[in-house]
Amino acid sequence: MSFLNPWMLLGGLGIALPILAHLLNRHEVRRTDWAAMHFLNRNVRVRSRQIRLRDLLLLCLRCLALLLLVFALARPIWKNEDSSWLPGEPRAGVVIALDASFSMEHGGGDSRRFDRALEQVNVISEKIQPGDPVTLILLGGEDKVLIRNMAFDRDRFRDLLQSAKVAPVGLDLDRVPKRLKELLDDMEAPKKEVYFITDVQARDWRRSSARFHETLAELRNDAEVFLVPVPGAPANLAVTELNLVSGVLRKGTIARYQATVHNYGEVPVLDVAVQCRVEGVQIDSKRIPVIAAGASETVSLFVPFHNAGSTRITAEITGDLLPSDNVRRVVAVVRDRVSVLCVDGSGGAAGRLIMASLLARGDGAKDEDYVVRSVPWLTLPAEPLEEVDVLIFADVPEVTPEQVVQLSRHVRNGNGLVWFAGPNVKAAAWNERTASGSNPLLPAKLGAPVDSRTSEGAGRPLDPAMPDHSVCLPLQSLPEDLFSETRFLTRLNVEPSSSSFPILSLAGSNAPILLEHSLGRGHVFQFATSAETSWNNMALTPVFPMLMQQIVNYLAGREFEQPRLVGDSLSLSYVEQPDASDAVFDTPSNESIAVPVREHRDQFVAMLENSGEAGFYVARVSVQAPGMPIAVNVDPRESDVTSLSASDLNENLEGADITVVASESELVAAIDASRTGRSSWRYLLITGFILLLLESLFAEFLRKRKRSRSKQAEPIPDNLTGVQDA
Amino acid sequence: MSQHLPNLNYLDPELLQKLGDLELIAREVVEGLRAGSHRSPLKGFSTEFAHHRQYAPGDAIRDLDWRVYGRTERYYTKLYEAETNFDCHLLMDASSSMTYGSGKVSKLEYSKYLAAALSYLILNQRDSVGLSVFDSEMRAHLPPRSAMSIILQIEKILKEITPTPKTSIAKQLNDIALQIKRRSFVILISDLFSDVGDIMRGLQRLRYGGHNVIVFHTLDPHELKFPFKGTWQFDGLEGEEELITQPERIREDYLTNLNAYLEQLQSGCIGSGVDYTLVETSRPLDSLLSEFLETRSLNMMGPSVGARS
Repeated sequence: MSFLNPWMLLGGLGIALPILAHLLNRHEVRRTDWAAMHFLNRNVRVRSRQIRLRDLLLLCLRCLALLLLVFALARPIWKNEDSSWLPGEPRAGVVIALDASFSMEHGGGDSRRFDRALEQVNVISEKIQPGDPVTLILLGGEDKVLIRNMAFDRDRFRDLLQSAKVAPVGLDLDRVPKRLKELLDDMEAPKKEVYFITDVQARDWRRSSARFHETLAELRNDAEVFLVPVPGAPANLAVTELNLVSGVLRKGTIARYQATVHNYGEVPVLDVAVQCRVEGVQIDSKRIPVIAAGASETVSLFVPFHNAGSTRITAEITGDLLPSDNVRRVVAVVRDRVSVLCVDGSGGAAGRLIMASLLARGDGAKDEDYVVRSVPWLTLPAEPLEEVDVLIFADVPEVTPEQVVQLSRHVRNGNGLVWFAGPNVKAAAWNERTASGSNPLLPAKLGAPVDSRTSEGAGRPLDPAMPDHSVCLPLQSLPEDLFSETRFLTRLNVEPSSSSFPILSLAGSNAPILLEHSLGRGHVFQFATSAETSWNNMALTPVFPMLMQQIVNYLAGREFEQPRLVGDSLSLSYVEQPDASDAVFDTPSNESIAVPVREHRDQFVAMLENSGEAGFYVARVSVQAPGMPIAVNVDPRESDVTSLSASDLNENLEGADITVVASESELVAAIDASRTGRSSWRYLLITGFILLLLESLFAEFLRKRKRSRSKQAEPIPDNLTGVQDA
Repeated sequence: MSQHLPNLNYLDPELLQKLGDLELIAREVVEGLRAGSHRSPLKGFSTEFAHHRQYAPGDAIRDLDWRVYGRTERYYTKLYEAETNFDCHLLMDASSSMTYGSGKVSKLEYSKYLAAALSYLILNQRDSVGLSVFDSEMRAHLPPRSAMSIILQIEKILKEITPTPKTSIAKQLNDIALQIKRRSFVILISDLFSDVGDIMRGLQRLRYGGHNVIVFHTLDPHELKFPFKGTWQFDGLEGEEELITQPERIREDYLTNLNAYLEQLQSGCIGSGVDYTLVETSRPLDSLLSEFLETRSLNMMGPSVGARS
C-alpha cells in the first residue's frame, strides 16, 4: 500500500483534539457550595460512569471518523493483488503521447497513420474512468499539450481530440521520454500510464541515443509504459532540395534551379513529374523517368525573371502518399542590376584577377546590368558607394575611421563586402578600426602572415569547412584533382570573432581561409589570403571564378532568399531604429503576427520565434510596408517514413520493460492486465462522513433524551411555593 | 463583590462618610416616639402646629381652635406635628445558607455591613437601635439603645457570628414580636431560604404588633442568574444532599422556580404591608441604601404610613 498524499497523514495528529477535549471535559466536574438547593431539579443527575461511557462512545466515533477522513485524503492505493477484496476501483492517470510529426499524415484518405493513431486513443479513452486525470500531448516540433491533467470527461475529451492535427514538423525522439516524465511528474494519480502512439520511423529509432533508452527505462519507475505502433508502408517521394545553381538574380535573366526528388520507398518509382511554379504560375515541368528505391534524382528548372523584386518559386510533385513533403519553396530577390566595385591596394594585380574571375561568364560579355569595376584604393573616398552592391577590398593597406563607419552602414543596408588580405595590409590599423566593438566590420582580427607550406615546401590545398554553404556548393561539382590544384603558401593568422564562422579552411590545419559573418542585413566575407598570386595560386585555378561569382551572387542576394525549415525562427533586421515598434509576419494561412522589435548588440531585430507552418511567410517592417516573402519548408529528414518492423522494435526496446501492443485487442488486454491498483479513498471518505453523521445524530439523540428527562423533573416542593395561605 | 466594602471593619470611615450624606434623607423618613431629629408623620399631641381639620365627633374638645370659631363660627381642630424618635430592631439571619458567596463577599458578610451601616445611620439620628442574631435559635440579642456606644457592641456581635446549618425564621420572628413592647421598626436581613408560608406568618405576626417591618432579602448574583456551565457538583450548605448535574439543562427550571418564589414573597409582603427590598450582594452598599431611602421617602405619602395609624 502506498499513499498519493502521504503528508496528509500528518492530519492524523488531529486525533489529539477530540481526545484532548474529552480529557479536559472529563476533569471538569467543578464543585460549589450552594444555598438554594431547593430550586435545583434533582432529576437531572449526571452519573460519572454514565458520562464516561457516553463520552467514550462519542470519542471513539469522532476519532474513527477523523482517522478515516485523514486516511482517505492521503489517497491510499493498494497495489497488491491480495487486496482485491477491498472496495475500490482500478483507476489510473493517463498520459497519451501522440506522434504528430508530418510523417503521420502518410497514407492519404482514411487510412492515414494519424487516423489510426486517433482510433487507438479512443480505445484507450474507453478504459479511462470518469474523473481520472488525463493528459494528451501532440509530439513534434515544439510539442503541443492539448489536454493537461483534465479530470476525464468522455464527451469533452472527444471534442478536444477533434482539434488534434498533424504539424509540418519532425519528431525529436530523444526528447520524448524527458517530456513525458515532466508530464508524469505533473500528474497526481494512484497509478500512472503512458501511451506513446507513433509510426516508429526507422530513421529515428535506429539513431536513438543511449540517453533515450535510459530515460525511457526510467519512465517505468513512474508509470506503466505502452508503445502503440501505427506503422505504414515506406513508399514516399519527397522534393528534398531546390537550389539556385547558376545565374545572377537580375531582371531579364534566366536562372537555373535544381530540384532533387528522393524515393524513400523500397521499389523504384516511374515517371515522376516535377513542376516549377513562379508566383503560383507553372513555368516549367520536367519528368524523371525512374527513381530507384532509396535514390535521389535531380532535374534542372529554368526560371526566367521578368520583373525585379521578390519572387516565390516552388518545385512540386503530385500523386504521393505524403503531401507535406511534395513541395519545396525558395524565394528569389531579383535585382534591376548588380554592381561590383573592387578596391585594389596591390597596385592593380588583384583588381585585374578579380574582374577577370567575375566576368568569366557563359555569355562572355559584359552587360549593362552587371557592372564590375576596379579602382585604386586611394580613390575610394570619391566613389559613390550607394550604387555598389558588392564591395571587394583587395590588399588595401588601411582605411580611415570615417570610411569604416561608411562601410559598416553600407553592409548593414543589405550589401556585401569581400575582404582579401595581402602583403600591403597593415594589420594593426585594420584591427584598431574594424575589429573592435560589439559589432566589428570584419569577421576576424588580423594577425601576422604565416607560412602555410607543407614540410615538402608545397602549399596546402583547400578544405570546405562548411560544404553545405551555398558558396561551396558549386565547388563540389569540381573534380577532386582540379579542386586540389589550389595551393596556399602564405596566409594571414586570424582570430575569428564569436559571430563569425569559417567556410573554407586549409586542409590538414583547420586554419580558416574564408570566414563569414552577417552585419545588419548584409554579409561580410573575409579571406585570410591574397587575391593576387603572391600568397597562393587560387586566382589561376577554376576555383577562383566559381568562388567569386558564387560569393557575389550570395552577397547580391537579399535577406530571406535562403529557405527556412518549419520551427526555425524568422528574424527581420533593421539598419536603424525603426519608427514602428512592431514588425508584422503574415503566415501562410494568412494570419498576421505582430512581433516587437528588440535591440540586440546594437542591432534592431524583430524575431518570430517559431515558424509553425510550411509555405511562404511575409515579413513586413510595419502593417503598411511592402512584404518580403520567406520560404519555409518541411524538414526532409522526416520524409523517410519507413517504420521499424515488430522484431526490430522489440530488439530496439530490449531491456526497457515497455509493453508494445500491436493491435486493439492487445491494447485492451494490456490495459486490463496492468491496471491492478485499487483506489478506495472515495469509499473511505464516504464512510468517514457517515461516521461523523452518526456521531452527531447520536449526540443529538443523547441531548434530546436528557432534555426530555429534565422536562419530567419532579415539581418544586410545595413548601417553597405555597405562599397563598400566608 | 465590588471593592466598596472593606473586609474586616464593618464601620469603615470611608463608608460612614458616604452614609453621612444619607442622613439628611433618612431624617425626612423615619419616625419614632421620642423627640429626636425626625418629624413624625403622625399628627398628634405636640407643640408644633401642622394644620387645621374640620371638627369631627370624638375629637378632643381642647384641640378646638376657638379663634377660628370666633371668626368663622365653624369648629376646627388644631393638629400638631411632633418631633419623634423610634426603636429599631435589626434581625439578622446567621444560618449557613447565608455564607454562600460567588464573589469575595458572602451574603452574610454583606448583611453584616448592611446591619452596621443601618445601625450607624439610626444612631446618628439619635434614635435607638438593637440587634438580634438568629439561626435556628436566638444567638444574640441586644435591646435598642440610643447611646452611640452601642455601635461597638453591635460590631462585636457581628464579628462573633458563627453560622449554623438551620434556620427557623417564623419561630424567631414570633419570639421577637413577643419581646418588643413598643411599636418599633423591625428590619429583617435574610436570604429567606425557608418555607414562604412560615416566613409570611412571622412577618404578619410582627405587623399585628404594630411594628413597621422592613425586609432586606439578600441574594447572591449567582443565585439570581444561575450562570453555571459544564458539569457541577452542588453541595448543600444546610445539610442537603449534594447534586452533580449540568446546570445548563436545569437553568430554565431553576429560574422559573426562583422567580415564582420571589414573586410569591413579594406579593405576600405587599399584601401584609411589609416593605420588601431584594438585595443583590454585588450592588454597592451606599447606592443600595441611597435608593432604599429614596424609595421610602416617596412611600411616606403612601399606604405604609397610614397602616400604622
